[in-house]
Amino acid sequence: MSVLSWWSRLRNHLRSNALSRDIDREIRFHLDERTDDLVASGMRPGDARREARRRFGNLGLQAEHTRETDLFAWMDVLIRDVRYSIRSLRSAPAFTIVAILSLGLGIGANTAIFSIINAVMLKSLPVSHPEELIRVTRGQQTSTKPPSEWNGVLTNPLWEQIRDRQDIFSGAFAFGGADFNLAAGGEARRVSGNWVSGEFFSTLGVRAAMGRTIVRADDYRGCPGVAVLSGAFWRGEYGADPNIVGKTVSLDGHPLSIVGVTDSRFFGVEVGERPQLYVPLCAQTIFEGPNALDRRSSWYLQIVARPKAGLTPEQMTARLATLAPAIVESTIPPNWPTEAIDSYRHTRFGVAPAEKGFSDLRTTYGKALYILMVIVGLVLAVACANVANLLLARATARQREMAVRLAIGASRGRLARQLITESLLLSLAGAALGGGIATYGSKMLVGLLSNRARAVQLDLHVDPTVLLFTTAVATITGILFGLVPAWRVGRTDPQAAMKSQGHGVAEGHSRFRAGKALVAGQVALSLVLIAGAGLLVGSWYRLATVDPGFRRDGILLVQANIRALHTPDDQRVGVFAQILDRLRAVPGVRSASVSLLTPVGSMTWNDALKVEGFTPKSGDDALSWSNAVSDGFFSTMGVPLLSGRDFDTRDGATAGRVAIVSEAMARKFFGSPAVVGRRFQVEQGNSWTPPIEIVGVVGDTKYQSLRDSAQSIVYYPQNQQEAESERRQFQLRVDGSPLAIAPAVKAIFAEFNPSITLDLKTLDRQLSDSTTLVRAIALLSGFFGALALLLASIGLYGIMAYNVARRRNEIGVRIALGAEYGRVVRMVLGEVSRIVVVGVVIGIALSAGTTRLVKTFLYGLTPMDPFTLGAAASVLVVVGLCAAAIPAWRAARMDPVAALREE
Amino acid sequence: MPRQKNDILQGTLALLVLKCIDAQERMHGYAITSHIQRVSADLLRVEEGSLYPALHRMEQDGWLRAEWGTTEKKRDAKFYTITALGRKQLALEEESWARLRDGVARVLRYA
Repeated sequence: MSVLSWWSRLRNHLRSNALSRDIDREIRFHLDERTDDLVASGMRPGDARREARRRFGNLGLQAEHTRETDLFAWMDVLIRDVRYSIRSLRSAPAFTIVAILSLGLGIGANTAIFSIINAVMLKSLPVSHPEELIRVTRGQQTSTKPPSEWNGVLTNPLWEQIRDRQDIFSGAFAFGGADFNLAAGGEARRVSGNWVSGEFFSTLGVRAAMGRTIVRADDYRGCPGVAVLSGAFWRGEYGADPNIVGKTVSLDGHPLSIVGVTDSRFFGVEVGERPQLYVPLCAQTIFEGPNALDRRSSWYLQIVARPKAGLTPEQMTARLATLAPAIVESTIPPNWPTEAIDSYRHTRFGVAPAEKGFSDLRTTYGKALYILMVIVGLVLAVACANVANLLLARATARQREMAVRLAIGASRGRLARQLITESLLLSLAGAALGGGIATYGSKMLVGLLSNRARAVQLDLHVDPTVLLFTTAVATITGILFGLVPAWRVGRTDPQAAMKSQGHGVAEGHSRFRAGKALVAGQVALSLVLIAGAGLLVGSWYRLATVDPGFRRDGILLVQANIRALHTPDDQRVGVFAQILDRLRAVPGVRSASVSLLTPVGSMTWNDALKVEGFTPKSGDDALSWSNAVSDGFFSTMGVPLLSGRDFDTRDGATAGRVAIVSEAMARKFFGSPAVVGRRFQVEQGNSWTPPIEIVGVVGDTKYQSLRDSAQSIVYYPQNQQEAESERRQFQLRVDGSPLAIAPAVKAIFAEFNPSITLDLKTLDRQLSDSTTLVRAIALLSGFFGALALLLASIGLYGIMAYNVARRRNEIGVRIALGAEYGRVVRMVLGEVSRIVVVGVVIGIALSAGTTRLVKTFLYGLTPMDPFTLGAAASVLVVVGLCAAAIPAWRAARMDPVAALREE
Repeated sequence: MPRQKNDILQGTLALLVLKCIDAQERMHGYAITSHIQRVSADLLRVEEGSLYPALHRMEQDGWLRAEWGTTEKKRDAKFYTITALGRKQLALEEESWARLRDGVARVLRYA
């Protein structure tokens, strides 16, 4: 296409409105004249008009032809190119299938990962004008970070102060995550929800699909509480009951009246969560006691607001800064240490964009997702190299075709365009396949990222961003791998090519060099992927098999909540002790215990300790993890008692306070494991507890995470702890499968009191849930590494098969002259080895730069772990030699006479 | 579109159009179709749908000049006149037509 015709097409396009009016007028004139003539010859006017139109042909089509003559010609060529490409691809089905499959897998993987990144990080909230929304953040006056990076979690007293004092927002609301139990007793049926302030729905501009949303009038101190259901919950739990409004839903045993159902498209403001229902903030007093709204150190609310028109973030931050002292002063938490209160007084507020909502998925999975994006990008690069290589081989085979076309006058540009069309067609077919793969792939991926403790729920509908991404990826890859052969056509010398009679001798060599470089590149990228996968899989294996300091199998964990029993604080421990006695009598239970927390659970507890002779280096250095446990906890969990004794009946509520400590605690605070009889104190508000005597030392265990090193842990007898919590964890060591005794355990609780709610899982499950993310990226990187390896081996096989075919004559001569079988094989394998070695060396250099990316996910391995790198390199060498074995064998078995006769 | 028996041989439409306009000086599209049909004694019929693209192309190539005018029936119509470049083209086309005709005639006679 010449520059001139592009110009005139452009001009036609720009003029097209005037032009189209012009043409329409001209055609109308023609039809009028024809109609007149037909009428004059005796036809009825209506018929004449129809006949005139019929003779002219399809009006719209003609007008189009006339208007866009240039565009039409261009389209015509394009259609011919496409038809020709389809024919030529059909004539090489093996090539086409391998190419489309490679691209489909590559593009599909990229689209799948991208659609998750899109859902988690890029999509705006499905509310009105999401771009206006901001969230209120909280930081220290002295903070060097910008307010947009401050923490956004606040208390209810802070929210009430900000709500009542601010004058810069046209609407603002607070919300917090809530976890309700639908079951009235027995095993819990968890449902996630949101506490929302009265302005939640009006500020977001979200309407009810049925009934009404929560409004300001619902949110006042002492409110009876109402519930708004999400569309999904309404359908799933109530079968889309049209008379739902006015019914009640029981949450943690409290009946709330259902006032409406939200629009189905609205999934809340936290990406990755799907609140099933919304309850006004004020109703917290019903669930958590009369002072629930006045807890000044209960951090769980986030504030979102719509600023008044024209305010900049700086103006808002400035205004909030002047309001801050008054807000802070009236919400100072009681019982805080003096330094903590001083620092609280310096709290300031800022704003940050909230267009895309909130998500701790971004912090939890953001890095993993970007790593996966890099991985699938590399896989796509390997796939592209494969297709480029296949196209190169094809270009050599088609050299004569191209030469003939050049000789009879096709321009090189025309041929290059033909080849690019072919490549784009391949990549579009790959994109179509990839789109299909991605739909399933992204769902599978989200499944991999979810576990029982956390179900990730994302809006994965294909939207324009994802479509644009896939199309762009397909087009770029198509052009990338299509350019090489197209460029080579530009250099084809028709005469030389025709003379070579299709043996490709003249062009073959440079094609071979380009091919070898591509394959070496594939080997290098595959090595990076395999090494990365090796590191991640190795880390996961280490995490899965690490000794946590306790026995991980054969233990059933039962979390029991006795909130519905309304037991007074001082009797709760007794209730749990009674239940424990009954559980110990269940047949099949070898031992049982109860504790406040379980290792690697979702909750932690730490306190500052004071030990004579120990000077903490910082405030944090004085901290130790804590837990409250019953007797038998250590024997049930299999934690060795190193010295001293377990808790027993001596350690009652009124007896002298005692504790058992981990060996790491003893070494850290006392510098020696022999600490039985020593004493320490625990910080409590602004003072310290009376001295607590250590009666035993136990082995180190993991506390928060399987990645923990030896942790300092203090265990208190549960009788001596104030029973603030209505929840306890029971541990049951059983013979055989822990879940097998679940029915018996549930029966015991039901018999004791049917309104106690339960969550049951095995300890092993709790531990493996904590490694979900590592497992997911280990599995995925392993899968993609294997895929890259497969693609690279296809590339290696292809290039060696081609090379053997190319050197048929030469090898024939060698065999005829007496070269042995082994020598020929060695010659071919030697060539492969050189490619692989070059690839491996480049790959190791690349790994040095890239495996650092996964460092945060590694456990027990360094990014340049020599064993892993060595193993990855060996895998590539072995796979490379295997891929070359068939061509080598074929070369050695060659019949020299047949090979030479061809000459 | 179904092909008609007496379609104008491809490549000759430009020749015929240029010739008519050269002879009549100023014509609109409809007049061109009826003129060709009449002069050829109904042997040739211009496919109406391809006439206008051809006219448009010839206008763009500078062979024809177009302007809007009014017919005797007071209708707006686009009138075409031939340019100097168009006359040159006409001469070329006439010459190549003569060659083609002679060539075909010879083949028919001697083959």
